[in-house]
Amino acid sequence: MHSTQEKRYDYRITVSLEPENQTLVFDRLKTVLQLLNRIGRKPGRVLVIRDGQLLTPDLILAPGDKILVRDVGSKG
Amino acid sequence: MKCTRCKIPAVVALPSHNAAFCKDCYLLFAQRLVERAIKEHQMCDHADRILVAISGGKDSLALSWQLKTLGYDISGLHIDLGIPESSPIARQYSERFCDKYEIPLHVLQMTDLHLSMKEVKKRVKRPICSVCGQVKRYFFNKFAVENQFSVVATGHNLDDETSRLLANVMRWDMDYLHDLGPVMPAKKGFAKKIKPLFRLSEFETANLCFLAGIDYGYAPCPYSSKASFPVYKNLLLDLEDIQPGRKIHFYDGFLKRGRKGFMPMDDEDITVHPCVECGYPTSTGQCGVCRLRSTMS
Ligand code: SF4
Ligand SMILES: [Zn+2]
Ligand SMILES: [Zn+2]
Repeated sequence: MHSTQEKRYDYRITVSLEPENQTLVFDRLKTVLQLLNRIGRKPGRVLVIRDGQLLTPDLILAPGDKILVRDVGSKG
Repeated sequence: MKCTRCKIPAVVALPSHNAAFCKDCYLLFAQRLVERAIKEHQMCDHADRILVAISGGKDSLALSWQLKTLGYDISGLHIDLGIPESSPIARQYSERFCDKYEIPLHVLQMTDLHLSMKEVKKRVKRPICSVCGQVKRYFFNKFAVENQFSVVATGHNLDDETSRLLANVMRWDMDYLHDLGPVMPAKKGFAKKIKPLFRLSEFETANLCFLAGIDYGYAPCPYSSKASFPVYKNLLLDLEDIQPGRKIHFYDGFLKRGRKGFMPMDDEDITVHPCVECGYPTSTGQCGVCRLRSTMS
């Protein structure tokens, strides 16, 4: 996990958390489930969004992906 | 992961239903859960004039969208609670949504009635959420009865219902337990109340909003306390992870087999009269909200 200031690598995966409004960057992540485990979230409690599309936990992430993780209890 | 119905890539995985769905099949799945709830519990039909309690959050908007899509005759009522940090945002989301989907929206401004929660909180010693809940129930009911709505619909979801059930079971609160359920029939000045989203979890209503393109509000109330329901909600979510489907079985089982055990032995209801000031049904001379209003003025 690195801070967002380091912009040298564009193949890293950027993860924004809602409602915290926090951004994390990861070097290596294979699947959505792996991402959720790394940030301490569970599948049935967040929406995982990439390019405006929902992702299921088994989905493979690609280098450079920008992912939004939204807590379902946070909005509404 | 493939869609259980049509085998194209899925966008939502639902271990509780042992299924996964693509966008279109998910929307159909959610619609069927709502249709099933309505039918099974005879909640409403197309002749009813339905008043939906619209807060601007995901559950109330998902409910309005689904009822509208199913062709029901709905209108919204938004109660602007007069909380500076959250009410203007909640109201904006409600108004924008109803504009977009052509749903008539009524707004009651609590500040105009000297009942803004900001002021109430300063004057009243009771927990603010209990006063706020009482005020909301009062106005939804009163508005429905006075404007010939036959049903009031609220966006309570499965997590709301099961956490409330569990909290009341933990206290063995007999009075609450026999009143708990997705339908409250109309009686003595109270409108019929229904909860058509009770089969959908919070996760499922959030997915419904996302996939239906519903823009919902996020303006947490600054007075929101970490009351006991969130504790039970989280316990049930953890249980659901270990035993998928547990929440709906717990609730369905209660409705089918548990609830009748909590029905009062004799039929003697507390006698209810119209409030001497506003006519609202109450067991005392003046109803709770009229008492609150006299404290406030
Ligand atoms: S959290 Fe805020 S809006 Fe909700 S019941 Fe409490 S005071 Fe009312
Ligand atoms: Zn499908
Ligand atoms: Zn009264």
